[in-house]
Amino acid sequence: MAGQALSGLSVGMVLFLIAAGLSIIFGTLKVLNLAHGTIYMVGGFLCYWLTSTLSGVAGEGAFWIALLVAPVLTAVIGGIIEVALLRRIYAEEMLYQYILTFGLILIFGELCKLIWGVGYHTVSVPWPVDGKVFIFGMSFPVYNFFLIGCGIIVFAGLSILIRYTALGSIIRAVTFNREMANALGINVPKVYTGVFMLGCWLAGLAGTLMPPMSVVALGTDMAVIIDCFIIVVIGGLGSLSGAFIGALILGLLNAFGIYIIPRLAVAFGFILMIIILTFRPWGLMGKPE
Amino acid sequence: MTHFFKTLISRPPVWIAACIIILCILPFTLSDSWTSIATEIIIMSLAACALNLMLGYAGMVSFGPAGLYAVGAYGTALVMTKTSAPFIVSLIAGPIMAGAVGCIVGWFCVRRSAVYFALLTLAFAQIIWTIIFEWYGFTGGDNGIVGLPTPDILFPIRNSYYFSLLIVLVALFVLWRIINSPFGKTLQAIRENPNRVEFIGANVKRYQLAAFVISSTFLGIAGSLYGVFSGSVFPDYAYWIKSTDMLVVCLLGGIYTFVGPIVGSFIYILLSKIIAVHTMYWMLFLGIIVVFLVLFMRSGIAGFVSEKLYSSSQSDKDASEVTE
Repeated sequence: MAGQALSGLSVGMVLFLIAAGLSIIFGTLKVLNLAHGTIYMVGGFLCYWLTSTLSGVAGEGAFWIALLVAPVLTAVIGGIIEVALLRRIYAEEMLYQYILTFGLILIFGELCKLIWGVGYHTVSVPWPVDGKVFIFGMSFPVYNFFLIGCGIIVFAGLSILIRYTALGSIIRAVTFNREMANALGINVPKVYTGVFMLGCWLAGLAGTLMPPMSVVALGTDMAVIIDCFIIVVIGGLGSLSGAFIGALILGLLNAFGIYIIPRLAVAFGFILMIIILTFRPWGLMGKPE
Repeated sequence: MTHFFKTLISRPPVWIAACIIILCILPFTLSDSWTSIATEIIIMSLAACALNLMLGYAGMVSFGPAGLYAVGAYGTALVMTKTSAPFIVSLIAGPIMAGAVGCIVGWFCVRRSAVYFALLTLAFAQIIWTIIFEWYGFTGGDNGIVGLPTPDILFPIRNSYYFSLLIVLVALFVLWRIINSPFGKTLQAIRENPNRVEFIGANVKRYQLAAFVISSTFLGIAGSLYGVFSGSVFPDYAYWIKSTDMLVVCLLGGIYTFVGPIVGSFIYILLSKIIAVHTMYWMLFLGIIVVFLVLFMRSGIAGFVSEKLYSSSQSDKDASEVTE
């Protein structure tokens, strides 16, 4: 039971990283990035690719290099997407933004298939977080604690960044009123690119952290993006703490759901989402529209 | 003579009659495999037009039409295989189930803003897919339901073609009437400015829900027809890639005209049959087509052509006025 809770929390933390990116991008750019799960999947493939090619040179350190490099690569991909594609259609109807990011799911999914094939890939749990710890006579994988730690650090870091730094106040200003921020001399397009890259960095980070616990495979992007949608419906789109709470709840629900009904574990998240939509449609941390 | 053609072009009934005559003669000139492709095109036209009621006319971007299409297909297939009800009952059961499911799903989807609508439609379609995929005992899981007991009268593929054509034409006519009714005009007003429509006193959410249910029912008709036509149903019908197909069809043809999705489905299915044979990476092409359309051709092919026609007939009119 405790083991289920721990693995649920650690998966929840990974989902938080992705949902936080989705939420921040939506909050600032007002773009719903449907391809966000795909960026996560690309991060996973990059993690696999880097660890397998570098393991000869760096040994156990390969994963840690991947952890530094892969998210940066996904951030760069995000930057290219924003500058080359999204920027051209901010003035158009929302419809086209959705459809454009939907098209990116197809393109990046197929590129992953082209480069890495259709098989499953695994990444072994890296030293020094590969052992088990014993608490009250039960053993828990250290990697789960590592993931939870990463999630909390990122949550704290993002909260501080947005609330207490000069950069954060610029982001908040652009989020609040784009035109006014522009009039005050803030370079809004640069902020947009930066925030989109930050979101993609978070997705890439999640993609790199997940493989030791799970597998790298095509199709994981859609499963993850649906989980993220449930999280933002529960927590409220655009709210960082909402994403955090939503991710924790969903992680735990999924973990215990598999314990109770393996085949229909997904249903628990959906049921919670439906309950929230019925009784509190603006989400746990959101405000009534 | 050119004048004669110009007047012909400006008369939609002439066009429609010509198209219907061509569609009726078509199977006599085509091989069986091409008749089957033609049937696919006809059924896809209906699915895409049903989606376009939301997408183009009501401005509601749904990423989950495939879910309701699959409910229609499975509804018919399940009634056909699990009960001894006559064929016509099972054929009607699919769309009714799709409408009922659409009513429940739609109620949740319209509760929040447009962004949530987009993500909820995708989420609900994936739920439907998961249910179909995992519920082996009832839906057959990923094996689907094969060998539907379709009546013998549909057996030569040509009969199946005419059967689909008849139902699709009737359904399209009904859709067209709905879009041009006061209800349809209200939907278009909501697309342009939901706040103003709210101020007039119309209940915007209720209109959107009604659009969702109508669209779901017609998607159900398309799904049900496709199930009957192919003789089998699979969870793939509900998968997001199927939704992509429908969205691309609408976008390719043009979402702001009634014929757009029909033109789109003709071009899209022909294109997919030609390209998909030669490459494993059809989806990559599809993605690039989507991005291209969004960046450079937002009004789609039908929109593009009608703009050209309109502007050329306008300039002709101007020219004739000058000469007179």
